[in-house]
Amino acid sequence: MNLFRPTNLTALIFAAVVLGHGQTAPAKAGAAAWWEQLGVNASAAATRVDNISRTSSALSRKDATTYEFTAGLSQHRQLASSWLLELGADALYLTVPKYVRTNQLTAGPRLGLQHKFGLGPLAPMLQFNAAYNYKAARFAGDRGWTAEGGVRLAKRLLPTLKVAASSQWLEHYAAISTFDVQQHTLSGEVSWDIAAHWRLSGTVGRLRGTIVANAAGPTWASALGGGIGPTIANYYNSIPWTVTELYGPRWVSYNVAARADLWSLALACALTEHSTLELRASRAFVVNHAGISYPTDSWGLGLLHRF
Amino acid sequence: MKPLPAFLVLALLAATAARAADFSATIKSSKGEVVADAVLSLIPLDAAPPLTPAPAAPTPEISQQNQEFTAYVTVVQAGAKVMFPNQDTVQHHLYSLSKPKKFELPLYNPGAAESLTFDVSGVVTLGCNIHDWMLAYLIIVPTPYFAKSDSLGAAQVAAPAGRYRLELWHPRLAAPQTEEITLADGPAGHRDFILPLKPDRRIRRGPESKTRSY
Repeated sequence: MNLFRPTNLTALIFAAVVLGHGQTAPAKAGAAAWWEQLGVNASAAATRVDNISRTSSALSRKDATTYEFTAGLSQHRQLASSWLLELGADALYLTVPKYVRTNQLTAGPRLGLQHKFGLGPLAPMLQFNAAYNYKAARFAGDRGWTAEGGVRLAKRLLPTLKVAASSQWLEHYAAISTFDVQQHTLSGEVSWDIAAHWRLSGTVGRLRGTIVANAAGPTWASALGGGIGPTIANYYNSIPWTVTELYGPRWVSYNVAARADLWSLALACALTEHSTLELRASRAFVVNHAGISYPTDSWGLGLLHRF
Repeated sequence: MKPLPAFLVLALLAATAARAADFSATIKSSKGEVVADAVLSLIPLDAAPPLTPAPAAPTPEISQQNQEFTAYVTVVQAGAKVMFPNQDTVQHHLYSLSKPKKFELPLYNPGAAESLTFDVSGVVTLGCNIHDWMLAYLIIVPTPYFAKSDSLGAAQVAAPAGRYRLELWHPRLAAPQTEEITLADGPAGHRDFILPLKPDRRIRRGPESKTRSY
C-alpha cells in the first residue's frame, strides 16, 4: 500500500485528528476552548532567484524575484508524557511578477507526531510529519494534490546549538504527467543561537527523484533532434514534456529524473518576541539522469510573525 | 496545653520586632549593570531558624502564561508549598530534574493548578518539556530571612540581630557567594555586591525557520 497516495494519506490524517482529540486528558475547569489554543503564524518573503527557470542552457536562463506569503494554524495536544501531536493547516501564495504563469496557491492540512526521549531541552526528539496540500497553480497542468511525509531526528547539543537529520518524501499528482513529481530528500540541519537575538542555521541535503525543468523552444527542439548528443535526445524523447510558456513564448516544461545537492544558510534576527527577520541564501545543484545540470541560487529576505 | 494569653503573644511579637535589624543590598554585575532576580538569604549561625514558613503566609505561585513562567526566579523557605497554576491557553508539561525535588506534571491542561511542597533546600530548575524555552528557578532556602533583588538590583531583608551566613545566588553565577555578616540593632546595614555573571545562555523562543522544498 502506498501510504502517500492522496486517499490513504487523507484517511491517516483524519484518523490521527480524531484519535488526537479523543485521547487527550480531559481539560479541567477553566480550560480554554480549542480555538483559543490555536497558534497562528504568518510570513512574507521576497527572494531573488537566479535561474528560476531551471534551465540547463546558460544563455537562456531566467532570473526573477519571487514573493511568498504564508499563513498557518496549529494546535498541540500532548497524548502521553512523551508524545505530542500537532495538527495544523497552512496556506502559501507564491507570486512571480515577471512570470505570472508560475504563480500558485497551495493549502492543506498537516499532522505532526513528536516523541521526546526524556525530559529537558537536551533530550532527543523524533518527529513524524505528514501534509496534504492542493496546489492551485495558475498553469492548469500543474494543478493537483501534493502528499508529503517525513521523519526527523533532532537533538540539542547545547542550549544554543541544535542538530537534526531528516528524511522527507513528496509526491505531487498533477493534472498532466509533466508535473507529476516524486522526491525523496535526506538532509541535515544545524541551528546556532549566536547571541540573544541572532540565530544562524544551515542545511545540507541530497534530493533524488523527479523534477520539472524548462527550456526555450529552439533549445528543446535541438535537444530532441540530437543537437546535443544522441544520449540526451534518446532520454528527452522518452520523458513527458509540454509547451507551457511559463518563461516565454514556446518555452517547454519537461519532467526528468534527477538528483540535487541542496545547501542553505539563514541568519535570523528576532525583532520582537513574536517576529523574526530572516536572510537566507540557498543553492541547488541539480543534475538530471542524462548528466545535464541546472544550478540555481537564491537570496531571500523574509519576515515571520507568530500571533 | 493552655494557649498563651493574647497580650503575651503581642508582647513577644513586639519584642521580636524591636530586635529586628534591616539589611539591604545593591547588586550589580562586574560590568556595572544592576542585577535583578538575585536571591539573598541570611542563615542564622547562632540559633536555629524557624523550621517552617509561617502558615499565614500566602502560597507562592509560579504560573504559566503566554508560554512562559510568570516568575523567572522565586524564593521560598524549605517546607513551603508552591502552586503551579496553568493560566495559559495551551497544555504544559512541567518538570524538574533538580536534586532537591524531581517531579513531572505532564498533560497539564489550561485551568489546572497543582501544588507541591519543597522540603529540601537548594535550587530547583523548572522547565516545560513541550516549550523548551520556558525556564524558571525555584530557590528553597533554610531560613525565613530572604529577599530577591528587584529591577534596580535592590534587596531588603529584616532579621533579628545576630550572626548570619549570607548567601547570594543568581542563575548566571557559577557558584553562590557566601560570607558571614553580623546584624546589629540600630541603623540598617547596607552592602554593595558585584557579581561576576556568566553570559545568558537561555534557549531562545522564536519562530522556527521554514525550510522550503525544492
